[in-house]
Amino acid sequence: MNFWEYLGNRHQQLLTDAWQHASVVFQCMVVATLAGVLIAVATYRSEWGGNFATLTTSTILTVPSLAMIGLLIPVVGLGVAPTVIALTLYGLLPIVRNAIVGLRGVDPALVDAARGIGMSRTAQLLRVELPLAWPPILTGIRVSTQMLMGIAAIAAYASGPGLGNVIFRGLASLGSANALNQVLAGTVGIIILALLFDAGYVLIGRLTIPRGIRA
Amino acid sequence: MTSPETPDPSGPSGPTGPTGPSGPTGPSGARGTSTAPAPDGSTGPPRAEETAAPAAPELPPRRLGWQKLTIVPGMLVLLLLATWLWFQQADLDTLSENALADGQVSQALWEHVQLTAISTFFVLIIAIPLGILLTRRAFRRATPVAMAFANMGQATPAIGLLALLVIWLGIGRRAALIGIIIYAVLPVLSNTIAGLRANDPTLLEAARGIGMSPLGVLNRVELPLAVPLILAGVRTALVINVGTATLAVFGGGGGLGVLITAGITNQRMPVLVLGSILTVALALLVDWLASLAEVLLRPRGLDL
Repeated sequence: MNFWEYLGNRHQQLLTDAWQHASVVFQCMVVATLAGVLIAVATYRSEWGGNFATLTTSTILTVPSLAMIGLLIPVVGLGVAPTVIALTLYGLLPIVRNAIVGLRGVDPALVDAARGIGMSRTAQLLRVELPLAWPPILTGIRVSTQMLMGIAAIAAYASGPGLGNVIFRGLASLGSANALNQVLAGTVGIIILALLFDAGYVLIGRLTIPRGIRA
Repeated sequence: MTSPETPDPSGPSGPTGPTGPSGPTGPSGARGTSTAPAPDGSTGPPRAEETAAPAAPELPPRRLGWQKLTIVPGMLVLLLLATWLWFQQADLDTLSENALADGQVSQALWEHVQLTAISTFFVLIIAIPLGILLTRRAFRRATPVAMAFANMGQATPAIGLLALLVIWLGIGRRAALIGIIIYAVLPVLSNTIAGLRANDPTLLEAARGIGMSPLGVLNRVELPLAVPLILAGVRTALVINVGTATLAVFGGGGGLGVLITAGITNQRMPVLVLGSILTVALALLVDWLASLAEVLLRPRGLDL
């Protein structure tokens, strides 16, 4: 069976896996983005707090993903739970770091002006600081997503969802005619998903970055 | 792996300004590129005179505080001690004992260290010269192509790459090593290119102006200035490789992944936890050692 026949035969299964892969990455990214921006907003004003948040998240990122999943399994069991927790934790770092850098990089004169025209602290944050810090945050989100695509594939070993299952099925049947097809379909599928997400972020950037600060 | 692998690949991608490795503060990033030479020029020489003076109390500030030297090793010792104590009282069944007996743990650990060291060596001798080459005038046109390629490569899942190599080259250590190397070359390459490109062009101009040969400019100006970024690349490579090496088990390459996968497939939590904790400890230790190297090896003239 050549690769195209394989795709034709199994497209239903592959599409389900691809959909689950994209969906778990997307959901974890939403959680990681919200949590990451909140952490950044809570810590960026204090030198110590911001550095501590960056240090903690970068330590998490240093931990190899298979080991992280291995540590989560005794606590939460196999399946979707360790996948989601690991993906969310790994997604945090680039977002927290970029959000802190972005928020700290906002010109203090602008914040001062916002206070001067009577904006509350919340309004300053929501209408001045976060919009100005949005481009680096979006970059962080892109980096995170690309990374999570690969980690989600590994999480399939702990019975997680997604295209990683196709790759591991291929690895398990090494030597059989379908091994190459499966591994190739899983790998190329993940690359395509990553590129689609990336294109989506470029579009989101076009639509959401305020016109005044567009490069 | 990308494993999380990628602590610093976010640096070179996208708007490098805010995400760059120049530290968490935006303003300092801006200063780094435009006005850094001035402070260097003014503070460098006086400091050199101070060090020449007999009493040089200001020499040691290498920014190696006691926290940097003690916190990570302390945490690692505590972590390993706690694991050891837990194992003393854990009752292992035969399956777990078989998985851990006969020095298999130390063998897995040693294999993991070997995989990491060998792959990092090859990543560096491939990526850094290639980065230097791609920033030379003759090849500069190829740089965007290489960077686009590097970005594409980052979308490739490590496990997929490894699986393809195993099918192509057969199961064994060689396929695993090649996979680990390919996976880390791209981030280090883009780090090196970004580092060499971020050098202040006026400094290169000045070096050329005082009559240095192209090789002299490279050796005595460009590379020293790019050392911090290249060291960051080394650190990135080490951390990525420790992570990817856990996947070597899927290609028959050994390493600590053996314990983790054995623990998952046999559902023996002690084996799983031991493998995971050793992997975590190794990754943190390697990262810490690389961060010490970053501080100790950077040219003193670049210290602020």
